[in-house]
Amino acid sequence: MKKLKKALLKLCLIFVLLNVGLFVIFFFDLDGKLLFNVVEPFLKKHYDNMERKDTLQEPYDLDKFPKYKYD
Amino acid sequence: MAKKNPIKAVKDFWCGKPHTAEEGGRRLGDLYEDKTGLLKHREWRGVKDTFYYMYNIWGYNYVHMVLDILKFSNNPIDFFKGTWRYRWMGQTYLPVIHWFERGLQGMRGEALAASAWHYRAMVSASIHQICNFFNADTRLHGGKENDAYKHTIYANETTCGTLFYPWKDAGYQYLPMEMIPYFVTCHVNSHTVLNYIDAVQSIGLPGDPCPMCQAESGLFVLDDVPDSAPIIITCNEACDASVSTHTLQDWFANKPLFALPIPMQFDDPLVKKYCMNEIEEMWKFIEEQTGVPFSWESMKKYLERQNKLQRDEWEKWDVASKTDYYPINGVAQALFRIYSTQYGVQTSCWEEASEKVKKIMYKCVEKKINPFPQTRHRVIAWSCAPLYFSNWCTWAYNCWGLNTIINMDSLMFDMEIRTDSYENMLEDMATYHMWAPMRRMAVGGMHHIFELWDYMKRFNCDMVAMYDQLQCKGMQGVHGLFEDEFRKRNINAFWIPHALPDCRTVSRAEIRRQINDYMTTVMHEEPLDPSLLDFDDSMTW
Repeated sequence: MKKLKKALLKLCLIFVLLNVGLFVIFFFDLDGKLLFNVVEPFLKKHYDNMERKDTLQEPYDLDKFPKYKYD
Repeated sequence: MAKKNPIKAVKDFWCGKPHTAEEGGRRLGDLYEDKTGLLKHREWRGVKDTFYYMYNIWGYNYVHMVLDILKFSNNPIDFFKGTWRYRWMGQTYLPVIHWFERGLQGMRGEALAASAWHYRAMVSASIHQICNFFNADTRLHGGKENDAYKHTIYANETTCGTLFYPWKDAGYQYLPMEMIPYFVTCHVNSHTVLNYIDAVQSIGLPGDPCPMCQAESGLFVLDDVPDSAPIIITCNEACDASVSTHTLQDWFANKPLFALPIPMQFDDPLVKKYCMNEIEEMWKFIEEQTGVPFSWESMKKYLERQNKLQRDEWEKWDVASKTDYYPINGVAQALFRIYSTQYGVQTSCWEEASEKVKKIMYKCVEKKINPFPQTRHRVIAWSCAPLYFSNWCTWAYNCWGLNTIINMDSLMFDMEIRTDSYENMLEDMATYHMWAPMRRMAVGGMHHIFELWDYMKRFNCDMVAMYDQLQCKGMQGVHGLFEDEFRKRNINAFWIPHALPDCRTVSRAEIRRQINDYMTTVMHEEPLDPSLLDFDDSMTW
């Protein structure tokens, strides 16, 4: 019985702490601040440095496909 | 120092601070950090609404975003691979909850709950599209053309999803090429699109055409369009600049392509006949490419679902036009409508959100709850909105009591499509197609542009927010005509200059300044919340 009580108390404490933690993240917009100040600059750097195909080198094959006309 | 009133402090804690400055208001502008638009802290909306927001909007949507990915993705790993590969994905969609924040700021009670359901539907539909992109993308699957690839049809984002219902039951997925990489990104994170606009100008295209067409082409220039479909349907959207977009798409995509025009002068019965023929030709093209015939049963089934959604919307508009009990704010109304009508009933999220909103709306009607009690003016917003500041309506209500009841984007597809016979369906489908975004009531001729006056009356509005897309040659041409009509009809109207997705041309602060000037110098009114008059959010998403 004592053990069960202790486990329940622990569970309640975890639940309360989790909610307090979530509230702090929510209320102080910590998710927004993390994304704006850390995640976005990191990803931006990654995309800026990414190797990309030079699409202008692609030939414009005008006659590769037939003219789709269904009169 | 003023003495604090403990009773007021308890009341403010329990109910949230009152809206207006006279009542010792909430001063929402003080919550912003300088430049970034991030919040020093979120608004305390009172115990009930703060925790409703935290659990039922903020937490709920974070959890459901993950669940949506698991639901719509064939392999969740592809989602992460796609995020790493595509800028429009990684840079844009992470701050999606901040997009909610901007649109829902200051909302309380039923307005907060109902508007958030519209946002939830848009997020779910976006994830549906993103997953469909990544499920089929050959770049994420080692160049392999998998089953999802073979069952995807790419189309320009203004080619309505309705046209592709006949193949839906055969497992074919319509994917608007630019809706997620371009259109939705601008609302969520306006930084991303600038890369694509600059890319297309860097190869020598002039900077003055519509920036929407520029950005859509720029996606291809930067090789940032997933390779997720074997065929493409393009269109001229609503303007000539898009014809160039279509040419660049033809060049860079290098796939069998069918160009489906949206006619310019569409009130002519002969043009309608021509449009019906074009639609049938496109259907033949899909039949030929997929080997799957047109299914009338599939078409009918999804059109009936779409018609039901339209009837739901009319029900909502009825309440919006005749009462003060409509709980959806301006931005949630506009984006939900343009998104759902364009994408069509490819997922059930629109119907689910609509049912939930109707329930909240009827609660407001029965209990006579006014979700926007500080409304001073009922506003109709006309023409195309600034994508990077679509939440201006939320700001305008909080700052000035301007409640945007309805807008042009919502009204474009104000029709049902008959399903009693193939001929009737085709005729209505042609009308629907010709009423494309930006066509019917933006560059679609005088008669349709001036439908504003009828809708103003129908929705009982006393003010017009007139969007002024500086790079839309069509709408620039009628600017003076609107000025004349406003004067002649003695209508209160203010202009909102913008360059659609490009926040560098007219900043958000400049848009706010223009509205502030109008409200003080013409209307001689005082702001409800003076802290929102002027603040610097130049770097915000």
